[in-house]
Amino acid sequence: MSGSILVVGGGFSGVTAAVEAAEMGYNVYIVEKESYLGGRVAQLNKYFPKLCPPTCGLEINFRRIKTNPKITFYTMTEVESVSGGPGNFSVQIKVNPRYTTPQCNNCVSGAEAVTTEVPNEFNFGMDMRKPLYMPNPMAFPNQCVLDASAVSSGDGEKIKAAMPSGHIDLDQKPEILNLNVGAIIMATGWNPYDATKIDNLCFGKYENIVTNMMVERMASPSGPTGGKIVRPSDKEEPKTVGFVQCAGSRDENHLNYCSYICCMATLKQALYLREQSEDVEVYVFYIDIRSPGERYEKFYKRVKGDAKVHFIKGKVAEVRGGSSPGGVVLVAEDTIGGGKIEKEVDLAVLATGMQPTGATVQIPGIEYNSDGFVVPKEGIIPCGCAKRPIDVVSSAQSATAAALKAVQTLVRRAG
Amino acid sequence: MAEENLVQPDLAFIKGVMDAGGDTLNCCYQCATCSVVCPLSTPESPFPRKEMLWAQWGLGSKLAGDADVWMCHNCGDCTKYCPRGARPGDVLSAIRINAIRYYARPKALANILNSTGGVISTVITAMFAVLVTAFLWSRYTGQAFPIPKGTVVYHKFLTVVPIDIVFLSLAAFVSYVSLKGIIEFWGDISRGAGLPTSFNGHAVTPAWSELFPKYMWPAIKEILSHERFKKCGEIKERATGHIWVLWSFIILFTVTIVVMIQADILGNIWPNAGFETPLVWYHPIKIAANIGAIMIIGGTWMLMNMRRKKTAEGIMKSSTQDWILIGIIFAVGISGAATEIIRLINIPVLAYPTYVLHLGCVATLFLALPYSKFAHLLYRGTAYVYQHWAEDVKAGKAGFGLEKPTTREKM
Repeated sequence: MSGSILVVGGGFSGVTAAVEAAEMGYNVYIVEKESYLGGRVAQLNKYFPKLCPPTCGLEINFRRIKTNPKITFYTMTEVESVSGGPGNFSVQIKVNPRYTTPQCNNCVSGAEAVTTEVPNEFNFGMDMRKPLYMPNPMAFPNQCVLDASAVSSGDGEKIKAAMPSGHIDLDQKPEILNLNVGAIIMATGWNPYDATKIDNLCFGKYENIVTNMMVERMASPSGPTGGKIVRPSDKEEPKTVGFVQCAGSRDENHLNYCSYICCMATLKQALYLREQSEDVEVYVFYIDIRSPGERYEKFYKRVKGDAKVHFIKGKVAEVRGGSSPGGVVLVAEDTIGGGKIEKEVDLAVLATGMQPTGATVQIPGIEYNSDGFVVPKEGIIPCGCAKRPIDVVSSAQSATAAALKAVQTLVRRAG
Repeated sequence: MAEENLVQPDLAFIKGVMDAGGDTLNCCYQCATCSVVCPLSTPESPFPRKEMLWAQWGLGSKLAGDADVWMCHNCGDCTKYCPRGARPGDVLSAIRINAIRYYARPKALANILNSTGGVISTVITAMFAVLVTAFLWSRYTGQAFPIPKGTVVYHKFLTVVPIDIVFLSLAAFVSYVSLKGIIEFWGDISRGAGLPTSFNGHAVTPAWSELFPKYMWPAIKEILSHERFKKCGEIKERATGHIWVLWSFIILFTVTIVVMIQADILGNIWPNAGFETPLVWYHPIKIAANIGAIMIIGGTWMLMNMRRKKTAEGIMKSSTQDWILIGIIFAVGISGAATEIIRLINIPVLAYPTYVLHLGCVATLFLALPYSKFAHLLYRGTAYVYQHWAEDVKAGKAGFGLEKPTTREKM
């Protein structure tokens, strides 16, 4: 019997579930595969519909973690297997080395010591970073990371020499740990759907086609373009932007479900663009605008009221290079106006959907459905986007509910 | 005042569409991917998204009188990219089959010629009719019936006069039914597209002097070269088999007419002018006929294999009506070749029954023209002509004083 709870995934859902359970008095472990907590939310510029920055929700939760001794969290850690049953799971985890020590929170001197650069995954490869880096400006834990590849090359020693002594530890090794827990909350979240798989939308073929998450990073003040949404080819602010809704979602050839957030994300990003430039024209190609609930509906009406945001009911199914340099032509049928529309835009944004991480990486001992969502079982409770595609608010609610279910599992087993 | 339109769903039409392979039509959620990925869909009047909606609403007459349905060559690109598995390519194919039925008169013949049993019965009936005619003819000529004596010469069994009488009257009937269907179809597509009508509400038509050179000839050229068919993405191979069959029809039709004029008409006027059939193998007409025979069999064979393969791969569906047409044409080709080969080998007991079978198959194919999938020749051809005409009307170049046409009905 174990009175502890494991939360797999340290994104918004996982962190919420962990603090809720810990504040009820239970021991909680968080296992996160990235080097920081906060997950996809940490990559966002603003939440919809209130348009506040993600630091809002995340920082409060990080403080709750810091001040609660019942929470133990592991970053850069993966769950290797799950066995046992409700009340008594045995979980094997692998903690990968960070090659730095907790006092290492300023890596400037180490980063300058080497010339090697790699694409920055936090910004979807839109800029480069050094092998010693802070994962993101609000990273929690606030500790630098040194790439394993740098350790095996000569860079590691150079960085170690340039950094204050005791900050870099090249001798760290992966550690295998076994956790005994009574319940598991699966908060493994999502990945943006791989847009290159939607062959007719030509992502990767034309430079000025980006995804909605890339726009989010560009719009972020800490992002690769310092908060400006620009087109990749010439770093100019676009004068016309086309949003391609349902890029992969609601499509049995790709994601056979509605990803729930892409319509709202597009409406929000239309506002980013309108704030950025007075004369930018935004075209949204959609099947249906899904803005459920009163607050989202209001948000939709607000964006719709902008005369420079145009809505065209018809899915983009063909993309071509345009006549102007870097231009992209989006082709759709205007199902209300009639006829085909060929709209040339400076920048095309694919509103790609959310694919649960279970679609690509599965943990042995956990059951997934055909789309990759976690199947709930007694003692194994999915929440957030591991359960179904949802927004941040609903993720928080489902995480709280999952915490309660996990506690119930422990209490019932304890008799 | 808003105009009120009560939609009266034509459930029988839609049931027909669902039975002919269009049973996925209700999966459509109108995203319009299909209209964009289609290589043949036009910018002004894209398809097949609107047709999917009309089918869901049960607008049978609107679908039957829609020229765009015939612009589709069923390449399957839309079906491949459809996010909901609604298979627009198969639905359109099923709509075409039902549009043919919609314009066919009498409906009873359409029912017979669209079922496998009905087609086989028709072939048997036709064979019986041929036998009866031959029997009566043998009383007149004095030849033995049913197997004339001596080497196989088919006009001992039936000379051209009774054949021509039967087939020309059949041709007259088929032409009448076809023409009636085409005229009705033309009216419906014109009204459906919102083209201007005359003062009494009739669809306007091109002047006779312009119809052929300006509108029919470009359409014929496109059909002969399969220009549009070849734009189809997923099924390039299909065009090859189809063009073989089309050209074999043209060749066989021409040689039949030539032989009819030479042997049946001129030969009867001047019995010794040398128009004797059967023609020797090196006669140009005979050579053309044999090439036609090879092409009809080869082309149908290609179509059959392609369809089987693409159906198995799930790229397209195949309905009874699809197989019936391929089946009849293949039977015509095979029985025709067998008739010639057995004659050359000279086996009377086999030759004459095969000849009867061949005539039965040919008669059935003739009769099937306005009723079966064979009618795609009529309606797609008409739709092509119409499209050229409609372009001129919309551009104000049709020349009947209407510079600006009424705006197209928006869907």
